[in-house]
Amino acid sequence: MGASWIAVTPPAPGRGEPGGAAVPRGLRYANRSLAVAGTGIIWVALLGPVIALVTHLSWSSIASSLGAPGAFDPLILSVESGAVTLGVLVLLATPLAWALARGTLPFPRVWEAGVLATLLLPPLVIGLLLVFMVGPFTPIGHLLSGLHASATNTFLALVIAQVYESAPYYILGAQAAFSGVDPRLEQQAAMLGDPPARVFRRVTVPLAAPGLAMALAIAWARAMGAFGAVVIIAYHPTALPLQIWTTLQETGLPSALPFALVLLVVALPLPLAAYIWSARARSRRRG
Amino acid sequence: MLEADAEVDRREFTVRAALSVAPGERLALFGPSGAGKTTILETIAGLVPPRRARIVLAGRLLTSTAKPAVALPPWQRRVGLLRQDPGLFPHLSVRDNLLYGRAGTRSEARSGGMAETVSPVDAGAVGAAEVADLTGILAIDGLLPAMPARLSGGQAHRVALGRLLLSHCDALLLDEPYAGLDASLRRTLTDLVVSLVARRGVPAILVAHELAEAQAFADRLAVLDRGQILQTGSPGEVVLRPAGRRVAELVGYTAFVPVQGPPPEPTPKPPQDSSMDPGQEFAPGASASGSVGLVAGIHPDRVIRGSHPDKGLVLAGVVTSCRPAGALWEIAVRTCGVTVTGRLPEATLTGRELVMTATDPPCFGADGASVTTHGPVSRSGQAGVRG
Repeated sequence: MGASWIAVTPPAPGRGEPGGAAVPRGLRYANRSLAVAGTGIIWVALLGPVIALVTHLSWSSIASSLGAPGAFDPLILSVESGAVTLGVLVLLATPLAWALARGTLPFPRVWEAGVLATLLLPPLVIGLLLVFMVGPFTPIGHLLSGLHASATNTFLALVIAQVYESAPYYILGAQAAFSGVDPRLEQQAAMLGDPPARVFRRVTVPLAAPGLAMALAIAWARAMGAFGAVVIIAYHPTALPLQIWTTLQETGLPSALPFALVLLVVALPLPLAAYIWSARARSRRRG
Repeated sequence: MLEADAEVDRREFTVRAALSVAPGERLALFGPSGAGKTTILETIAGLVPPRRARIVLAGRLLTSTAKPAVALPPWQRRVGLLRQDPGLFPHLSVRDNLLYGRAGTRSEARSGGMAETVSPVDAGAVGAAEVADLTGILAIDGLLPAMPARLSGGQAHRVALGRLLLSHCDALLLDEPYAGLDASLRRTLTDLVVSLVARRGVPAILVAHELAEAQAFADRLAVLDRGQILQTGSPGEVVLRPAGRRVAELVGYTAFVPVQGPPPEPTPKPPQDSSMDPGQEFAPGASASGSVGLVAGIHPDRVIRGSHPDKGLVLAGVVTSCRPAGALWEIAVRTCGVTVTGRLPEATLTGRELVMTATDPPCFGADGASVTTHGPVSRSGQAGVRG
């Protein structure tokens, strides 16, 4: 069989190509618009409560609610206890998160399951159980009263409730952040002369920082909004979420709304700043 | 001076190595994957605990399992380890990466390992001349403000090398650092390391599973297999005079042809022995022991076309395959039950008869140990031998 050359004409570019795989431009555009619109609907639905809050507020109700004497005391209290809570978490939960991430603990799954269990407990249940744990008639309660302290209806109680409500969020977030740090980089830093503490400070923490910041921001939002456990063991002194609850019960929805706005305004900046900062840190790394 | 004598348990075998590398000397550990090469480096760097070891670097005892036991942690060893992944810190600029080890060692030297760290900027100001000098040699001076993510593979390796050298480590361990790079870049970087090791006068060990790479780097080459050092010698000697059949296989001898020759003299030394003295090697004085099971190792690159009985072992046979290998042709010849491969500059047709000469082939006894021969060897049995 003699070989013969067969001229292959390249298919003409452009539309009207029969059986071509290319999607027409118009259809592609419609497809894309549909995707954006669909995502937009979900996004707006997600933001529904915030939109409702903003649209149902009136200047007069804000003025009357926030103008009352002592109206900002719960806010100050919440910010203070939230700050203490974050401090406790950073000091105590960071090492745990690091150990979980490095897998240096025996039976790592058991430790992780414990953290998940605290995440799964509803806040109200946490509050009930805290009464049995640190209440006045428990060993810990006796110990505290010996120190002239109490873990019910005090600032301490508020911090304890907030810590228990926010800790699992911080631990899981921080664990993920530490897991993302390549152990070979830490090894490299050690071989360049850094003892473990300095490796942690110079390599581990900076590399995990964006994730740690996000974990901290989420923990902050949880602590500021803590209600379930707080309402059981720290009804007094009144923190911000409880103020919203009592105002709602005593004077009704319209006067409670301004405090919801306050909560949002106070709780949001830190997560937002953390988000922007970590996004910038990541893009800086890309060079 | 780096002296390491270590036994490290691994899952399948125990790695045993006794090495001694002088300042400015370059030793290559060559062996197949999984031979325990990296384990040796990691033991020296303090990352792997040995069963028994004594490691001394520049007069400092790093590891000793004898009483009193010593095991310096990695951060006190001053051993630089470079791996295939350059391991640059992604959150620091090239400049801060280069000065990383510097800040650490400086503050440690000044305040005994505690207290304030000299910031990279200060350290840079003090050692600016050295940094400028080194970045010039490494050709990375234009990259100092860049972040590591922007660097190419070769650039990242240059920075990693510079970082090690600036940290003033007392030994340089290179664990196949350039395995992922293309050949010409690998060559450039290897030459760079060679010149810098010479300048710094530090002992250097390179781990490689490619012979050419090990030879391009080293003054001395150690062949490692299953945790044992089989032979140590100059890069040429190990290839031309492998101490045993296993070494020969590792350095590229692909065929072993039964030979009978003049009465051979068994090499009186164990295969581990490093001193392969050529004077003794070819010394006359034959014992009349038989040549039963004697084989000659054939290296594909040490084969020439035609019959040259004065140069080595003449082999004749039928060509079974011929395919391109780089710029040469890899030709397989079947000769008396053995397929011998040679890389020759000219192609030949399959099925044709071909005569080749394996130049100066090393011979091995039945036990696999190298056997010294004097005079020419010939194929056992006359079939297929020409000339």
